[in-house]
Amino acid sequence: MKHPRFIDMSKCIACGTCAEKCPKKVDDPFNENMGKRKAIYVDYAQAVPLKYSINKDECLYFKKGKCRACEKFCPTGAINYEDKEEKVVLQAGAVILSTGFKTFNPSTFPTYQYASFENVVTSLEYERILSATGPYQGHLVRPSDYKEPQKIGWLQCVGSRDINRCDHPYCSSVCCMYAVKEAMISKEHADYDLDAAIFFMDMRTYGKDFEKYYERAKEHGIRFVRARLHTLEEDPETKDIKVRYADEKGEIQVETFDMMVLSVGMETPAELVETAKTLGIGLDTDNFAATGVFTPVETSRKGIYVCGAFSGPKDIPQSVTEASSAAAGAGLLLSSARNTLTKEKHIPEERNIIGERPRIGIFICQCGINIGGIVNVPSVRDYAATLPYVEYATDSLYTCSQDSQETMAKIINEKGLNRVVVAACTPKTHEPLFQETLVDAGLNKYVFEMTNIRNQCSWVHKDSPEMATAKAKDLVRMAAAKVSLMEPLKETELEVDQRALVVGGGIAGMVAAKTLSSQGYQVYLVEQTGSLGGNALLLSKTWRGDDVQSRLSELISSVESDKNIEIYKDTKLTNVEGFVGNFKTTLNDQNVIEHGIAVIATGGKEYIPNEYLYGKDPRVVTHLELDKMFLAGDQRLKDVKNAVFIQCVGSRVPERPYCSRVCCTHSVKSAINLKENNPDTNVYVLYRDIRTYGQREELYKEARNRGVIFIRYSLEERPVVENINGRISVRIKDHILQQGIAIDPDLVVLASGIIPQDNEALAQMFKLSVNEDGFFMEAHAKLRPVDFATEGVFLAGMAHYPKPIEESIAQAQAAVSRAVTLLARKKVMVSGTVAQANPVMCSSCSVCIDICPYSAPSFIKQGPFTGKAEINPALCKGCGLCVASCRSGALNLKGFGTDQIMAMINEI
Amino acid sequence: MSDWEPKITTFLCHWCSYGAADLAGVSRLQYPHNFRVIRVPCSGRVSPKFILAAFRHGADGVWVSG
Repeated sequence: MKHPRFIDMSKCIACGTCAEKCPKKVDDPFNENMGKRKAIYVDYAQAVPLKYSINKDECLYFKKGKCRACEKFCPTGAINYEDKEEKVVLQAGAVILSTGFKTFNPSTFPTYQYASFENVVTSLEYERILSATGPYQGHLVRPSDYKEPQKIGWLQCVGSRDINRCDHPYCSSVCCMYAVKEAMISKEHADYDLDAAIFFMDMRTYGKDFEKYYERAKEHGIRFVRARLHTLEEDPETKDIKVRYADEKGEIQVETFDMMVLSVGMETPAELVETAKTLGIGLDTDNFAATGVFTPVETSRKGIYVCGAFSGPKDIPQSVTEASSAAAGAGLLLSSARNTLTKEKHIPEERNIIGERPRIGIFICQCGINIGGIVNVPSVRDYAATLPYVEYATDSLYTCSQDSQETMAKIINEKGLNRVVVAACTPKTHEPLFQETLVDAGLNKYVFEMTNIRNQCSWVHKDSPEMATAKAKDLVRMAAAKVSLMEPLKETELEVDQRALVVGGGIAGMVAAKTLSSQGYQVYLVEQTGSLGGNALLLSKTWRGDDVQSRLSELISSVESDKNIEIYKDTKLTNVEGFVGNFKTTLNDQNVIEHGIAVIATGGKEYIPNEYLYGKDPRVVTHLELDKMFLAGDQRLKDVKNAVFIQCVGSRVPERPYCSRVCCTHSVKSAINLKENNPDTNVYVLYRDIRTYGQREELYKEARNRGVIFIRYSLEERPVVENINGRISVRIKDHILQQGIAIDPDLVVLASGIIPQDNEALAQMFKLSVNEDGFFMEAHAKLRPVDFATEGVFLAGMAHYPKPIEESIAQAQAAVSRAVTLLARKKVMVSGTVAQANPVMCSSCSVCIDICPYSAPSFIKQGPFTGKAEINPALCKGCGLCVASCRSGALNLKGFGTDQIMAMINEI
Repeated sequence: MSDWEPKITTFLCHWCSYGAADLAGVSRLQYPHNFRVIRVPCSGRVSPKFILAAFRHGADGVWVSG
């Protein structure tokens, strides 16, 4: 059901006049109702598509039958009060649910006093307070009196890890990290010494590079207080918030804060529970869409996929990964229908303008009154006509409208124009539209320049129309000077080899290979050991209780019997040549593989401890070794009297300052298994923070219910494991009792961390980067979690960061999804805006080669210019870094040439 | 103070600062008109030569943002 927006989307140009004239102010839900907007609105400034809509429940016309101000003032006649709700029926082969979450509403819980105290806000409200487009324009002030807060407290786990009040036993996974981020930003924001304190139970900074951020926050003076606050009190006069809590020593502390932020958790909105029923998909006990460890984005109903927080609380990178993963699932179902609904576009032949004197056409847009209301457009037009090489200058009400486009194409042909300038809004949104018109008129799309006299002129200089007009003239003159030097550029087409290489035969690599094969692509799977399976071969059960070995052997045999997958065991890569679409990889047996894309899934490995008597006493094992004992049904496990787990072995230490993400859940699961084997076994888990994120928290609860004892230690006071006359003694200081305790275990399990493989050589071959810890670096930590900066190479599994099976699988499927976007196109178009080298000028200094983030420049290997630089246009992203750095002036950037930019500078 | 206004030449990265300047427009933030924007594909494109050229052509200040 499509709701009416009462605006004709094709007519609305988002000029904002309607909202300016609308007399009805309403609360702004985007700003958590802390600010105001009008009854006609856009959700937020960056909304896509940027089109207004009317809130029927608030609009005066709909409520009282009069006003119609928006209709009167809309310059394009886009208002349509008759708009009706519309039933839309879509035919689809697959459905992806990415419906998200809502934040927990703390107002009904008297403890937090959220509803009654003005200076108690939720974390989402606080995000809006910090935002430049927020209710206070980004000024850090508190709601009661708009004063700058001197002291802010964050309260963690509000609506999470709590079955007494809110029925949410799970951890919301993201709140620790966002609270640290909010505190850090607040510190940066405040030009005074802001006191920021975070009250928490366990600090769960388990993501990639998160632990370092946490450490940095401590260095910045953010206070981390391990305490659960039981009451908040408000000073009736100052509106300050007084809190009481017991500190780690058990002493009662009282502090006063100017503001308290409630770090609210995630939950599935009630209406989504209904939608799930309608769709017939299963939900788990926490109302998240039920998925499996081995099928992380599949719902209980075939053909319906889920991604993001609807299947459990998660952060942005994980949601983005799952989105691609769900797309891979849908793509698999629909791969036979691929390209069956495409149409070919007719493109007229390009006119050759080489050698012609520039004949520039300048088209100036009034954008209704958006530009025309401030800038004197006719005078800019007349001025433009006087500029050198300008053949024709005109203005129109909306240059982007369909009829203006047709007129433009006609004029180009009639006047024999060979360069075009459009002075209108921003090229970021409209350049492709005008370029298409050029192409339709038989011109190359690069003999075009757009200048921005709306967003960067009329809209921002409303009070000085004369100066805005003068600026618009300058901008048009600069654009004309540049365009006269623009040349037609060629976009080359490159064939994409339809075969794929997957490096690594663990779960991630095998899932990637299998997913590629299912979509019809041929795969080379290279594994450095003699068998497929990787680390999963050593695991007994997933945290959800699935038997890993049976699932793994199914996967291995399906990969081994797959005709599309060619497996190379005991094999390593020795050399990689080429680029996206055309890689040539040499293996250590001298075989050469040609492929269009590559997925790197080389995994990680267990850290071999040298602490806690490991290797010196057989009773001290790592948790993978314990899994091996479980797998073998080792009888000794039944007789264990005292078992001690030590967490963070090799993780979160100065040498390896990252959290290995999986160990807490792994140990808690193993502790439960020991208890299941023999309820009389005393199980102790020595930990620093228990990081059973998301629904794994429920395991932690189960372990405590089964009598597993959790004792916290700090990095400064690590447990001591000694062999005293043949028995093992573990000593640790208990933080609650504030005294040392000693345990005599007959089994010590070290939760040893995960370390990366030696990725250096592979990184060099594919020109990838690794982070300080040795894990591969993705193109963007949040938004491109499975892409590399190197095009055509993708990342999956523990090579990226330690992670559990379900996340490795989702990532592998996501990597394939991203790869298929390249493979399915069969050809890649290389932009015309690329750097070009003049070998005659080149001094072979190699600065361009060293500096380029995309490895586009290289030395010519043979011929008269051997040793001089050349640029591979397929790799070049057109940033111009090399051009600016070239000391010999041998490089130029097409479309942003030195002469072209100089011409603009000349005209200022 | 005299009425003198500095002339500022600005190089903005297409992907970030130029977009930010667009957003300032969408939000109708008002700011002085005495600078002129040259859009570049990346602030890395800005060669020292451009900065010197801008000063030579009378700029009182140059702003590179990206």
